[in-house]
Amino acid sequence: MNGLMSRLFTIARAEWQLWLRQRLALGALLVFALLLVATSLVTALKASQEHHERTHQQAAAEASFLSQPDRHPHRMVHYGHYVFRIPAPLSMIDPGVDSVTGQSMFLEGHQQNTAMFADARASAELGGFENLTTALVYQLFLPLLLIAIGHGLIIREREDNTLAPLLAQGMTGIQLFAAKWMALAGLSLALLLPLAIMGAIAASQGAAVLASAAIIGLYALYVLVWCSLILLVSTCVRSRSIALGILTLCWLAAALIVPRIAVESASSAVPAPSKLETDINMQAELRTVGDGHNADSPNFQQLRANLLAQYDVTRVEDLPVNFRGMVAQSAEAGLTEVMNRHAEERMALEAAQARFAASFGWLSPVLTVSAGSRALAATDLATHHRFLREAEAVRFDFVQGLNRVHAEQLAYRDDINRNRDRQASRRTRMSADNWKVLDEFSFEPAAAGERIANASTPAAMLLAWLLMLTAIGILAARRMQP
Amino acid sequence: MTATTGELEFLAKDRAALLWLGIALLVASLSVFLGLREVGAQRTVLGALVENDRAEREVLTGLHQDWGSVAYYTFHLTYDLPSDFAFAALGTRDTAPWKHRVRALALEGQIYETDADNPDFALIGRFDFAFAASMLVPLLLILLLHDLRSRERTAGRYELLSATSASAGSPWFARAALRVGALLLCLIVPLLIGGLLAATSASKLALASLVVTLHIGFWWGVCAAIDRLCWSSPVNLTALIGIWLALASIVPATIKGSVEAAVPLPDGGTIMLTQREAVNDAWDLPKSATMEPFIERHPEWAEYAEISESFEWKWYYAFQQVGDQVAEPLSNAYREGRIKRDRLAGRLAWLSPPALVERTLQGIAGTSMTDSIAYEQRVRDFHSTLRHYYYPRLFRDEAVSDASLRERPEFSAMNK
Amino acid sequence: MTTMLFAKALSVERSGQRVLNNVSFKVDQGEVQALLGGNGAGKSTTLLTFLGFLTPASGSAQVQGKESRDDVGAARRAIAYLPEAATLYDHLNAYENLRYFLSLAKADAHRRTLDAALERVALQAEAREMRMHTYSKGMRQKVAIALAILRESPILLLDEPTSGLDPAAIDDFNRLVRELAEDGRTILLVTHDVYGACHVADRIHLLHKGELAGTFDRPSGIDRIDTEAVHAAFATHAAVS
Repeated sequence: MNGLMSRLFTIARAEWQLWLRQRLALGALLVFALLLVATSLVTALKASQEHHERTHQQAAAEASFLSQPDRHPHRMVHYGHYVFRIPAPLSMIDPGVDSVTGQSMFLEGHQQNTAMFADARASAELGGFENLTTALVYQLFLPLLLIAIGHGLIIREREDNTLAPLLAQGMTGIQLFAAKWMALAGLSLALLLPLAIMGAIAASQGAAVLASAAIIGLYALYVLVWCSLILLVSTCVRSRSIALGILTLCWLAAALIVPRIAVESASSAVPAPSKLETDINMQAELRTVGDGHNADSPNFQQLRANLLAQYDVTRVEDLPVNFRGMVAQSAEAGLTEVMNRHAEERMALEAAQARFAASFGWLSPVLTVSAGSRALAATDLATHHRFLREAEAVRFDFVQGLNRVHAEQLAYRDDINRNRDRQASRRTRMSADNWKVLDEFSFEPAAAGERIANASTPAAMLLAWLLMLTAIGILAARRMQP
Repeated sequence: MTATTGELEFLAKDRAALLWLGIALLVASLSVFLGLREVGAQRTVLGALVENDRAEREVLTGLHQDWGSVAYYTFHLTYDLPSDFAFAALGTRDTAPWKHRVRALALEGQIYETDADNPDFALIGRFDFAFAASMLVPLLLILLLHDLRSRERTAGRYELLSATSASAGSPWFARAALRVGALLLCLIVPLLIGGLLAATSASKLALASLVVTLHIGFWWGVCAAIDRLCWSSPVNLTALIGIWLALASIVPATIKGSVEAAVPLPDGGTIMLTQREAVNDAWDLPKSATMEPFIERHPEWAEYAEISESFEWKWYYAFQQVGDQVAEPLSNAYREGRIKRDRLAGRLAWLSPPALVERTLQGIAGTSMTDSIAYEQRVRDFHSTLRHYYYPRLFRDEAVSDASLRERPEFSAMNK
Repeated sequence: MTTMLFAKALSVERSGQRVLNNVSFKVDQGEVQALLGGNGAGKSTTLLTFLGFLTPASGSAQVQGKESRDDVGAARRAIAYLPEAATLYDHLNAYENLRYFLSLAKADAHRRTLDAALERVALQAEAREMRMHTYSKGMRQKVAIALAILRESPILLLDEPTSGLDPAAIDDFNRLVRELAEDGRTILLVTHDVYGACHVADRIHLLHKGELAGTFDRPSGIDRIDTEAVHAAFATHAAVS
């Protein structure tokens, strides 16, 4: 057994030496390495700069909210607050949907805003592949390099007439396949080194070690899938240029065509209304909740009656709480319920679209690895939704906190007379201490365990790809003829 | 028998070439079909939205008795209709908004809202003709042409072919020209059929066809140059794919990086914060602090600028406008920065033919960054006419009437 | 007699190496001449120079009195070339291959003309519709010769036309070459087969390491060159090297 391993290793080593001597292989390797290092540096720098900037902006937004002077609490409801999504440490590897979703959001009473200022809206438009990231280089371009270097692994022996002597010496086709696979896999795994370094850096900056390790494992699985595919083609095809053509076609389909077809199919199979459509359709429902600014609205008759009964009084002026504040609370709760229901529906549809598109991973390992990579890096759709939900929770908490101040600390009589005279108006100003109802917002992605669970489907798909291609390759290698 | 029909028969028997051409035809047809479907869906969505928006405004009619409330509660839909060529290049329509609701409040607080599709989709991108023509076609052409000579050399036919040919170099040129021509047909025919279905103007189709032809011509030149170097087929193909990679991705990425470094933009968040602070501060400031800068911009309302109550709608709308005015320099810088970035990128795109083709097709389709910024400007213009409609009614404190409501401006789409 | 091919003090270099040195000979119309020599003697180089693929370092290679390099097109139109181990297209049948190559030469390709040529090279009728990847080497060679015939060019350059053929096929081939010469075609062939060359050629030039090492003529009235003399000369040079 030891003898066999050393024999396989000898063949693999001969292959590595050959690559180092071939100008083409060496040149391609060097260019790839350069591209990888440059892209990684740029991606990492951008991520760290944004981390810095947004942390600062978040702190500034909180400070500015808290430093507002004494005023009517409902003014603070409209003053609103900003939350920023601080990029997850692993986004230095895969920024995922961050560039298209917008990273800041304005929170205010009575409505849910969208995330604003997506990079994509202000960046130069150059054809679709200008957003190079470390993840993209690994997902799209590493397979090309492996194809260029590896397509001839077995065909070359055939074309150079060295296959017959090898097989005549008692080496089986499977052994040759295994040795060549080791050679290509060894190179592929070595090329993951920069990724491992970035994973380590991310871990040192607070990324879960488990998630960092999982992302490296996922990419390892991915490159091995390509190794097996390349070996399989190299075993079955008899001419280098045909093999190269077939592999290029596979890459073209997997990297460029299938992902976009998946998008088109998902958008037609699971139609999701735009937020604008939802907003307009929601209007009628929102009107039944009523406008919280107008306490006399018939929508709040029931609330009035309940409160009067609860406190056993006959006039709202005699209530121990500010009726207008109670109305504001009740209306906000009602509105939020409606808005959240629609938002959840929309998010569920988007998630369904993403799942539909992900099923195309059976046709393209590129699609699979990118979904898994985003999930692990916490830059996927689910994380964006998590951000939206957490931001909404912050919004609802501070708005209701202010409404509670409005209801409990501000006298009704002062409130309704606030526009009548200066004294009353001054009495409606609540102390700025109350602004502390605002919670500190710091967005945390899902725990590593949950993300790994989310990435387990893509990982399983890749594993299935790997096993299937390797098995077919071994079957083909068993019948290898010179 | 002429050389051309000879080559044609030869091509008809070349299974690899037929495979690549078949893929090209499939890709082009699919992209045109999907583009047409997407544009159709966008039109349907807009049709329904326009209807709902109007119905929504009708519901509001009569609900509010003062102009302040009317202006506060009434939203107006604006939208950017896809052009007759948008099916071929969906362009920025998947990240930038093409529909937007505004009301007469401060615009800076509303204009940056994005109503985008599923972000996963925007990240991956759409399968439109522009993508096929700019990114996929060069690869297919490379696959078709990379081994024209090297294959014959490996098979030992090179000398025989050259020696048999009546004029030097002719079999190569005829062979390549025929493949290039066939590829071009595989692209242009679906495009023209799509154009017929979408009733695209002939000039746009002609221009787009010209762009695609020139692009293919460029890659033909590259393939011919590499093929002349007498390398083996695999080396040729690897080198050509390397060139494709450089021109389609690495050069654009470098351009993007340098453009963004050369033209910094004001931070979007700062515009919003500035506007919000200005609007909110107004509540605590003396009324004159709002009315003076407002009257400077709108001297026609100077005689109505006296605010006596602690809350008046005209003051409320005045400080909304002043909020926009305060944020104006930043907002202009943001817009001009984007225009400047786009222009610079447009000039540098000459370094990357695929990017240039994508941009040019987007330009023809009216889906470029320029068009997206132009739509934003139309929203601004509409918002301004809306303000000009409300101001006389607010300042003169007119009564709300149906007749007056009928005069309210409606957003009208521009046909492209 | 018209001189069809003329090598005048011809010297050729390939990648810096002198592979042909000061070689002179001429071939007249209707003659069959052979260039004989071992590997690397410069035989194929001579042919490629006449075809204009290589340019002389000094001296000249003339086709019908015109310098090849001055008008490559004219030279190639005058010449039908049969490369060593001629590989036509495997995925086409005999007719399709002929038609394709003839279309390149802008020559006529009627089915009857093709059949006549294939008849002349004795390719079995049932094989003609089959794709070439099913052909033996001899059959491929026959199609290639048919192509050379169909070109109707006055000159034929044949590179190792009989290598790998069985003895019967070689006999057939030699007969065909003689017939073509009698039709007025000029033929220059390259070979390392002494016996074959002696049987088919009117004159043999022995090439060694790029230099002309001897010329043997067929005496008039005798049907072949003296094989033993040529053998002896060939062996001497082989021993020297």
